[in-house]
Amino acid sequence: MKKPLAPRVTRAILLTLFSAIFVLYVAGPVAWLVSSSLQSEAEITRVPPNWLPQNPSIANFEAIFSAADRVVTYENRRQGEALTSTFLPSGAANLLPAMRNSLVIGLWVAALNLLLSVTAAYAIAVIDFRGRRATLYTVLATRVVPDIALVVPLFLVIRNLGLINSLGALVVTYLAITVPFTIFILISYFEGIPRDLYRAARIDGCGHGRALWHVYLPLSLPALVASLTFAFLTSWNEFVFALVLTQNVAAQTLPIIISGFIMDFTTSFSFVNAAGVIAIIPPVLMAVVFQRYIVSGLTAGAVKG
Amino acid sequence: MTRFGYDERSAALLVFPVLAVLLVVAAFPIIYSFWVSLHDIVLTRPLRRPFVGFDNYFRIFDDARFWTAVARTTVYTLVCVVATTFLAVLVALLLNEVFPGQRLLSALLLVPWATPSVVNGLMWKWIYDPTYGLLNGLLVQVGLLERYRVWLGDPDITLLLIANAAIWKQMPLAALLMIVTMKAIPEDLYRAARVDGANIWQRFVHVTLPALRPGLMLVLVYETMISIRHFDLFLIMTQGGPGDASFTLSWLIYVETFRSLRFGTGAAMSYVLAITTFALSWAVIRFLGKRI
Repeated sequence: MKKPLAPRVTRAILLTLFSAIFVLYVAGPVAWLVSSSLQSEAEITRVPPNWLPQNPSIANFEAIFSAADRVVTYENRRQGEALTSTFLPSGAANLLPAMRNSLVIGLWVAALNLLLSVTAAYAIAVIDFRGRRATLYTVLATRVVPDIALVVPLFLVIRNLGLINSLGALVVTYLAITVPFTIFILISYFEGIPRDLYRAARIDGCGHGRALWHVYLPLSLPALVASLTFAFLTSWNEFVFALVLTQNVAAQTLPIIISGFIMDFTTSFSFVNAAGVIAIIPPVLMAVVFQRYIVSGLTAGAVKG
Repeated sequence: MTRFGYDERSAALLVFPVLAVLLVVAAFPIIYSFWVSLHDIVLTRPLRRPFVGFDNYFRIFDDARFWTAVARTTVYTLVCVVATTFLAVLVALLLNEVFPGQRLLSALLLVPWATPSVVNGLMWKWIYDPTYGLLNGLLVQVGLLERYRVWLGDPDITLLLIANAAIWKQMPLAALLMIVTMKAIPEDLYRAARVDGANIWQRFVHVTLPALRPGLMLVLVYETMISIRHFDLFLIMTQGGPGDASFTLSWLIYVETFRSLRFGTGAAMSYVLAITTFALSWAVIRFLGKRI
């Protein structure tokens, strides 16, 4: 039975309207950031603002990627023209190394996070051992403490170990953030795998190592992809710990360098916006590519029950 | 039968690495922080760090800044939680429909979620910019605003503007949770309601809303947990200002610790915030715990 025409038209109009509002709200701010990054400083500082770049140019991005080749001395430090956005903040050369740091840390965190979480989640979800519940609660409870409260003692501990400004210290710190959530996701996934498969594997003589490797891992690829993405994104985006635990370009990550630009009044707007666009591209690309896995992973705990 | 069988030994081995990491980077700092909070530790005076008992805690409660921060944090958290949840339900209602383009919109939904908080702060600060920002330009061009305003410089609305940036970023996750909850509602309920002659609004109030309760609970508590601890946006957008208009607890802890270098009181404040959050989150753990 087909519905009458009038309600269908109303529905189409409403859906279009709300979709338009949704797109404007969600994508509008990012679109404006991207549009700003493609304008020169002269264009960007026009009143009223240009919605779209009049002469789109990638000069800001070129400036970022060539910043390392420029030697800034007392004599030439003012050569760049703010109006043509060739005026670079003194820290511009730090952007590429910071991006490398972010990437290295992110990959380590993603890999180690998966390794640690898979084993622990398997034990908690599959093995019936004494202290199973206590382990789970301990793991989840560590995430209840706000980051800003953890950052002070962690700073003191890491400073006393002489590990301030080391990539390793950041990797281990980020694991503390990502592991509890990943374990939570994986447990709900593992529990959805039929118990009979596990019993069959055990009867065939598989130990826990092989049951995990041959039964559980192949069946939970989506959750594994979600975990990898989630850990990388968390690490790439993290700010508070990186701010306190790093001091210079040897370990500073992208958000730290960018926040430095934002608070430096001499930095040109177009340049900061371009840096922001660079920082936003990898996580957004990952999120869109792995959309299905992320959505099922993020909501894994909520579907049950 | 041995006391610890194969299962238990394997479990211990599999769980040990995680517990070791969490012990070093979470449990130990939490305990150490308590020790610090009982001492008068000021980094500018590194050699004298006397034990002062709970003096740091009493000192906080006598500190006018602390109560300002509590008030600001409460307002900010309430705004974030209520607005995020409300928007999330709206977005979920939209994306739960089947229509051409729905998949594209669902992909777009992840963009704010994936945006680094620093870039989020930068983006909105730029939108709010008093001279070149989009908000002034837009409102004046449309005619809703007579002349340019210094948005973030207005103490009455600063907190709301920062909350707006936060809501933009955290709405997607809340919406995803609401969508999952909606998908779990049996279609029969709607059919039955239609048979009974319920219109779309009645169906929403009497079928959708009650069924959303578990999801709503989760979203409300989770949003409270994360909003109460927001820090990044405050550092980037206002640094607690103008005046003390955006002076929240997280910002106070940061200033006390890393600007005044008073680690003792900073740690005590952290504990107060942590215990508050813990009390609020206890509900979450119980809620999630029931599902495992």
